[in-house]
Amino acid sequence: MSSVLDIKNLSIDFASKKKTYNIVKEFNLRIDKRMKYGIVGESGSGKSLTSLAIMNLLPEVLNISEGSITMQTKEKIDLTKLSPKEMRKVRGKDIAMIFQEPMTALDPLYTIEHQLVEVLRIHTKSSKKEMSDLGLEMLKKVGISRPAETLKSYPHQLSGGMRQRVMIAMALICKPKLLIADEPTTALDVTIQAQILDLMNDLSEEHDTSILLITHDLGVIAETCDRVAVMYAGQIVEETTVKQLFTNPSHPYTKGLLESIKSLGDKERDLYSIPGNVPTPFNYQEMGCRFASRCPHAMSICKTEPAMYQIEGDHKSKCWLHAEEVNLNDEQYLRVGSQ
Amino acid sequence: MLIPVLFGVSIVIFIALRVIPGDVAATILGTDATPETLAQLRKNFGLDLPIYEQYLQWIGGVLTGDFGESMRTGKEVLPDILDRFAITFELTILAAIISWIIAIPMGILAGIKRNSKTDFSVRVISLLGVSVPNFALATVLILVLSLSFSYSPPVGYVGFWEDPIRNLQILFLPALVMGTSMAGAVMRMTRSSILEILRQDFIRTIRAKGAKEKIVIFDHALKNAMIPILTIIGLQVGVLLGGTVIIEQIFSLPGLGQLVLTGINQRDFTVVQGAVLFIAFVFVLINLLVDLLYSYLDPRITYK
Repeated sequence: MSSVLDIKNLSIDFASKKKTYNIVKEFNLRIDKRMKYGIVGESGSGKSLTSLAIMNLLPEVLNISEGSITMQTKEKIDLTKLSPKEMRKVRGKDIAMIFQEPMTALDPLYTIEHQLVEVLRIHTKSSKKEMSDLGLEMLKKVGISRPAETLKSYPHQLSGGMRQRVMIAMALICKPKLLIADEPTTALDVTIQAQILDLMNDLSEEHDTSILLITHDLGVIAETCDRVAVMYAGQIVEETTVKQLFTNPSHPYTKGLLESIKSLGDKERDLYSIPGNVPTPFNYQEMGCRFASRCPHAMSICKTEPAMYQIEGDHKSKCWLHAEEVNLNDEQYLRVGSQ
Repeated sequence: MLIPVLFGVSIVIFIALRVIPGDVAATILGTDATPETLAQLRKNFGLDLPIYEQYLQWIGGVLTGDFGESMRTGKEVLPDILDRFAITFELTILAAIISWIIAIPMGILAGIKRNSKTDFSVRVISLLGVSVPNFALATVLILVLSLSFSYSPPVGYVGFWEDPIRNLQILFLPALVMGTSMAGAVMRMTRSSILEILRQDFIRTIRAKGAKEKIVIFDHALKNAMIPILTIIGLQVGVLLGGTVIIEQIFSLPGLGQLVLTGINQRDFTVVQGAVLFIAFVFVLINLLVDLLYSYLDPRITYK
């Protein structure tokens, strides 16, 4: 299968006046056609930044310092090397994006129609009537009950769920090759969440659109994605199929995450939480494995950074436990972690 | 809103005028007048009546469109106010346009290029605009123009319809002075308002659509930033329409400000009362207009 998006060795830096801090490091990801790829991680793990980097919409203080983002449109292009003008042609047309907050993601002063059709006006040369018809059709597709009326209304007249449907319609109206959804359901009621996810799935299949879904919710990943990358402190720590992740998690952080989900059955068990806190980017540099300070398996070697190890097939984990040369009797592999 | 405000203003100005020492009879007759002639004159003006009766007489007239006659000249007050207002109005509009031409583009530029040299210069200029007093700027401007360029603006006011070019020549300098001081506040407001809007999520959405910066800034950011800018502009225009005593004095323009000032000096009660009430009316009207503009700009704002 051909890849739609191929990110290689991406690093994102934060440059202050005095010093440069690395926020996201050695990020690799490959999304194939029609694939639904999930990135899961805590807030501050760099997952949203990565998505903004793909769109070249990083805030001014952040910049891509290394790596390539290759997109397959008519030809292969490296998004990090495009001029602002060329990048604008990709945004909205080849890659579209849905954001977390549907309440604030729409301009309050314009009608839904204006904002829906704006994408078409930027990227196509259709007539006003054609654009408006397509807008109506998209609203029907995203399951808005009174599409004609909704076209003429303003964002404040719609509920959160409706607005997120409008956002999806807006994102898919140009039939993009990739849809980036950054926490698309986080701000919505639980009942609406499932509807929105289903809608995204159905429409992307219909339009042959791949999805990059960013979330902190493993349940959303399980429901939607084919492959998943777990991010911790700006790095991917585990990357595999969704099935593997839930049946055979390998990185201690992933295990911790899965442990901390409570299911209805176990009322007796206290809710598990990973001890400690997420490190801040300001002390990433001195750390070896960034999870070591919270890891129950921490060893002395964890002071040096582990590589991404292939476990089986295409299941990868960034942990010394999976390094072939590890001999747990060796002194440098002595456990120092608490448990 | 309109009615209670105007009612309140009419009472306050009426009482204030009668509380300040001195009256029109004394200013007309001078220091040598006998108490009898003073009393006689006061009686002619109805100033011997109890204050509430005076008020009722006056306000009754105003309600039927009769603002009374000047106690000094005997001329009707309202036509005089309207004549003066025409000058003040033209001056204000010119000043406002000048200030918008300077302030809005510079404010946008500073907002977009935050913390750059452009932003810094705009902030300094706007601070100067706000803090340098009108009269200082006016005097300096006149001095520089006449000493270095041997140019002095024509003296003696001519109406726009009589001689438009001369009229604009006369009004340009005072409008420029007023405009620059108005521009400071508008510039700052535009900058901060644009800055705040550019941080909003929906701006990111529009950029994610692939929109050019031109669309992002003018169609979306500026339109959203317009509400606080309009508020400031409305207040400024409202204040200026009440006449600017100092600028009118420096450039010897017969505007509303001068009318009120001479009225107060001569204790010409009817003129001052009428003019103040008229100014309050215009001020409230401008605010009403701004409110209507809000609801036109922002669909979330509606008035019943």
